[in-house]
Amino acid sequence: MKMRKISICALLSGLMLFTSCTKKVDTSEKVLNLAVTAEVKGMDPIYANDKYSSNEIARIYEGLLEYHYLKRPYTLVPNLAESLPVVSADGLTYTFKIRKGVKFQDDAAFDGGKGRELVAEDFVYSIKRLADPKLQGLGWWLLEGKIKGLNEWREKNSEKDVVDYSEVIEGLKATDSHTLVFKLNKPFPQFLYSLAMPFTFVVSKEVVTKYGDNFLNHPVGTGPFMLKGGEFKQTSKRLTYVKNPTFRKKAFPVEASEEFKPMLSDAGKDLPLLDKVVVNIIRESQPRMLQFKKGKVDYNSVDKDNFDSMIVAGKSLSKELLDKGINLEVSPSLDVTYTAYNHDMKLFQNTNLRRALALAYDVEEMNKLFNNGTALPAQSVIPPGIAGYMKNYKSPYRSKNLRLAKELLAKAGYKDGKGLPEITYDCPSASTSRQIGELIKKQLAEIGVNIKVQQNTWPELQKKITKRQVMLYGIAWGADYPDAENFLQLLYGPNKAPGANGSGYDNPEFNTLFKKAAVMQDSPERTALYEKLNRIAAEEVPWIYGVHRQGYTLKHSWLKNYMSTDFEAGQAQYINIDLNKKKEMLNKL
Amino acid sequence: MNLWSYVIRRLLYTIPIILGVCLIIFAIFNLSGYDPAQTLLGKHATAKQIMEVRKELGLEKPLVQQYFDIVKSAFTLDFGRSWATKQNILDMIKEGAVPSLTVTIPAFLISTITAILISILVAFNRGKFIDKYLVVKFVGMMSIPSLAYILFFQWFFAYKLGWFEISGYEHGFPDFIPYTILPVIIMVVLSIGPDVRYFRTVILDDIYQDYVRTARAKGLSETVVLLKHVLKNSLIPIITYVVIQIPFLILGALLIESFFSIPGLGGITVKAVFDNDFPVIKAMTVLFAISYIVFTLITDILYTVVDPRVRLK
Repeated sequence: MKMRKISICALLSGLMLFTSCTKKVDTSEKVLNLAVTAEVKGMDPIYANDKYSSNEIARIYEGLLEYHYLKRPYTLVPNLAESLPVVSADGLTYTFKIRKGVKFQDDAAFDGGKGRELVAEDFVYSIKRLADPKLQGLGWWLLEGKIKGLNEWREKNSEKDVVDYSEVIEGLKATDSHTLVFKLNKPFPQFLYSLAMPFTFVVSKEVVTKYGDNFLNHPVGTGPFMLKGGEFKQTSKRLTYVKNPTFRKKAFPVEASEEFKPMLSDAGKDLPLLDKVVVNIIRESQPRMLQFKKGKVDYNSVDKDNFDSMIVAGKSLSKELLDKGINLEVSPSLDVTYTAYNHDMKLFQNTNLRRALALAYDVEEMNKLFNNGTALPAQSVIPPGIAGYMKNYKSPYRSKNLRLAKELLAKAGYKDGKGLPEITYDCPSASTSRQIGELIKKQLAEIGVNIKVQQNTWPELQKKITKRQVMLYGIAWGADYPDAENFLQLLYGPNKAPGANGSGYDNPEFNTLFKKAAVMQDSPERTALYEKLNRIAAEEVPWIYGVHRQGYTLKHSWLKNYMSTDFEAGQAQYINIDLNKKKEMLNKL
Repeated sequence: MNLWSYVIRRLLYTIPIILGVCLIIFAIFNLSGYDPAQTLLGKHATAKQIMEVRKELGLEKPLVQQYFDIVKSAFTLDFGRSWATKQNILDMIKEGAVPSLTVTIPAFLISTITAILISILVAFNRGKFIDKYLVVKFVGMMSIPSLAYILFFQWFFAYKLGWFEISGYEHGFPDFIPYTILPVIIMVVLSIGPDVRYFRTVILDDIYQDYVRTARAKGLSETVVLLKHVLKNSLIPIITYVVIQIPFLILGALLIESFFSIPGLGGITVKAVFDNDFPVIKAMTVLFAISYIVFTLITDILYTVVDPRVRLK
């Protein structure tokens, strides 16, 4: 009996020891704790083609422009540029003045270890790196064919052993230490968006040269934060950033759109507002949500599995969460999900067939089952929030209508599905994708159409799309920049796979209008053209449209100035933490 | 035969095995028909850039040359850089191996030693209550999926009771310990059932042998019979079972690593498979093959130590 008591005491003491091992939440300084779901590849801006890597890069590096943090629709404002560029009357020349006194972060690559001043030539070098044929930067598509002489420079150097960075390119010049001039081959109004994307963020030649192949693990930029310890480890599950002590004077915005006016309490304050940013890479949803509930992560998105237990009536939080001071943020995403037809197949060149299938598809049921009814059924290709979206427009081929679907199917020559071959629906291997496929199969069976669901790994699906080995396939597109052109190009004939137009839709009328709109500056005329294109895309049914998704994010009461955005790059500098509130609320968690 | 000449001969066998492994992974990679350049370039891939990237990756070289490059990297252990992340693969493996081992080694040692002790206990009490109770208990534990353990233990012990970290990892001793305790406990719970079942059977095979009866007839105590006679004779199958698990320790524990955010090799391998990152898949396969061969060899050598009747040929 005595032995047993001793054992129990020993066990309890052991457990007490474990308890003391768990770390307490730090409330001594302003730390933003984030949880992201995927690993960061590296810290080289030219390879930042996934949002996880580009968000990390944008804590350290900066570009000429950025999106105004508190304005919607998204508006470009100068960042490392002193002001927006002077654009020539023909829309071909963009002249930027670079902000003076901006310093690179201190690093051993610079003389005396002190970061030097940023000059226009750094941008010339950084853009050339993106075009470097040996480096194969993943953002090259942004600039391909756009800047005068850049494609020729890339072509010429692809045959050489060493790329010649000293050659002057006509369309990319630093005319003095703080003036940068771009000359374009043809008008391309979306060019400015490129300069707010991490692909074009500025790096220093000294740092690239010093670290060589390992440059991607030694980020040194001009941005508000620096990586603690200076070295990035790709396998690391936690990245810690500290305030850059040499960051220039940059203030929190003093203007805001109506919905963000409450955030103006920090207006005019020096950025960044935080001391540290800690990024935790947590792939699974359970530990992410548990860390959030413990207050060790400041905000977290609500996934499908947790939705019903946390969100009441689709839009408000459960009492348990409200009592803990947790807030809910619902925000539409600039994206569209869709099921594409392969237009190379004669079968799908039949408009009536495409319309019939779209009318048999019940997007509401899909939305209810897979998005908890939170997404917005897409009427066409352009999502809400950007010019070209038509708020009150309803596509005649969107809502489920089995009677009309059967009529159109008969008109297409396949009455009750007779004579129609089995149609394969290819989807990625995630279980939700397969379940959506099964739902489509069930719904289309109601008009006599047989669907076979085929799961693929992502590379396999990509290959099938490129090689035109698909019939129907489910996929989604998220905006690269907030312009309808980025969505409409998915249906532009010359962009056929392996380009972005995976379905191979090729409509001469659509192509002509798109070509015209793509070179126009933002104007009511361009918006009218975008709307016309959007209407064609709805009525011709090149795809079966899915939804525009909405993000549901939970945030703690101490988190200030956070909003869910499609363009998160650089966001952390504007975020603030109310330490008193944090100390108070942690006790309630 | 001299031990060293046996070791050298066995090590030489690794050459054709590595050549074969290289051939198999090269064949699978080529037969799968995926285009890594397309995967890499993502949604903005153009035909021209796909071609350029293929050239940069060496995919436009003749097949024989590509195979030779794989063989060369396997023998020099210079696997180059990952296609997906551009990181040096050997550095990735070095960085990932330590966190994996900080979880798998303690779990392996604890579960093996505990399982052997429990097996001896139940084998010597065969048919009695404790034997029946523990066997039923372990079979019950084995029938619960591993994911259920992970989800429950993480929610209950780490979140509800707050005894352990929910997830995360810190490099360096002893900083990693708070993050590895719960994963280790789960791994022990997961492996102890199958281990006990196997060890118990092995020990039971020996308990009814004539030599045990003889030892008892000579008047030896149960402890001596058990530890000096039975356990020693049972060691050969136990060693085979235990040592052959070691290469798997290096590979890490995929689910555990994923749920507890442990930056180990399991995650690296799975990510490489999803990204179609052939150089990383190749490196992991070759290293696994080599370690498998080495540990099989160690098993053979250990046989001669525990049983002098075994001769290496």
